[in-house]
Order: sequence, then structure tokens, then C-alpha cells
Amino acid sequence: MTDEELIEELAGAWREPAETLRFHPAWHDLGPEARREAHRRATELRRLEAAAHPEGHSGTTAAVLARIRAARPE
Amino acid sequence: MSELDLYVPAIVFGDERAFGRWLAAGAEDALRRGLARYAAAVDTEAVLQEALLRLWQVAPRFEDDGKPDGLLRLAHTIARNLALSEIRRRAPTQRGRGALAFDEAQDERIEATPPDPLLRAQLARCREQLPPSSREVFDARVLGAGRRSDAALAEQLGLKKNTLLKRFGRARALLLECLERAGVSVREELT
Repeated sequence: MTDEELIEELAGAWREPAETLRFHPAWHDLGPEARREAHRRATELRRLEAAAHPEGHSGTTAAVLARIRAARPE
Repeated sequence: MSELDLYVPAIVFGDERAFGRWLAAGAEDALRRGLARYAAAVDTEAVLQEALLRLWQVAPRFEDDGKPDGLLRLAHTIARNLALSEIRRRAPTQRGRGALAFDEAQDERIEATPPDPLLRAQLARCREQLPPSSREVFDARVLGAGRRSDAALAEQLGLKKNTLLKRFGRARALLLECLERAGVSVREELT
């Protein structure tokens, strides 16, 4: 994949659920400037996601709430 | 008391919907901007999600200090400490951290700003103007954001992952241009 595609992927909100903090695989393939660009792009994307969601939830909020609900005892 | 503080009693009581509203009201955006200075050294999305999960776990023990945005300040401290901890863990020596050395004593302040009320309506209009192939990837990746990997989304759409990402990049650029023509900006400056 090109750097541009890796930046786009890293800017997404999906992160593999894990017991410990795990970086996105694309992060390891990018240099410092590209990682900054992915962060900037993620900030914009989360605003778009929130504006498209009926309750204003970005992908980050959706992912975190899903993990909270999954961990809740039955 | 800030607008965000209105949600705090319910969050402390374990109301996850209130947690979602607190994040949507500007807390998440502020916390992400607070991590910008660490973006070259850590995966800020992974750090932020982990910090929010840890905040949720300690929220029942949160004690208000009487100043505005107490929970936001606590969340920022958790996120910042997590970022610094990851930086130290991945490059344990100061020399290894090199240009990534941070002033750990610096107390950055963050401030929440509510979402632009015009953005929702204008985004819906701009989305309608996207070419069908761009709209399809925009919907798949934005409406289901955070819940499925790009590999899974690409498979669902019958695309290669790099094709999905290229089309999404075009869709994002078209949307941002359309929003700016309408006087709505979500642009973030590179820090």
C-alpha cells in the first residue's frame, strides 16, 4: 500500500480489540510526519462521523461504547 | 459549571448513554486535540480509546473539585499519561526517544468546543452530491466507523482494501470542499 492509503487507514477509528493497548498495524509503517497527518485527518473524520450519526457519536465513541457494553456482566 | 459537567453525575452513576453524550458534546474532540503533540510518537486513536475505557472504569470514584470540566481534565491526564507511558515503553532511553522527548511536567490545558450546529444538515446535502461509488464507500466507512476493519468493509463491498481507501480519500476531499463552499469547516491544522 502507498503512504497515502496507510494514512487513510490509520485515520480510521477501527482498532483491533485487545486486552492491552495495541497500535494499528499501519502506524508502524509510517514516519513521524505521516503519523501527524493521520492524526489531523482523524480529527476531521471524527467530526464528520459524529455529524452523520443520529446521536452525534463518532467512530471513536461508537467503538468505546461497544467495548463497554461487551464487557458488561449479563 | 460547563455544559459538559451536566452529564457528569449520570456518568458517575454508570450511565453509558450519558458518557456518549458527554463525548459527543465536545469532550472527545478536545481530548483528541490534546493528544496532537504526541501524534508522531504514538497511535493517538488507540491511546484515546484506551484512555476513555480507563476513564469509564474510574468514573464511579470521580470527586468534583468544584472547578469546571473536572472529568475532562481527569480524562486528559489519563490520556496524556498513557501516551507518555507508551513513548517510554517503546523507547526506554532518553537517547532512543531523541526528537520525541517531551516536557513531561508541562501542564497543557484543553478546552471543549461544541460541534458546529450547521454541520449535520450541510453534510447530508453534500453527501447527496457525491458520485455513487464515492457515496457507497463514505457510507460504509463513516456510518459504521469504529466497528469494522477496512479489510472487512472492503470485502463487504467486493473491493480491494487499497481501492476502498483511495475511493474514500476522494469522497472525503469532495465532501470537505462542498462543506467549505457552504461556509462550514471541519478542517484541523497540522500541529
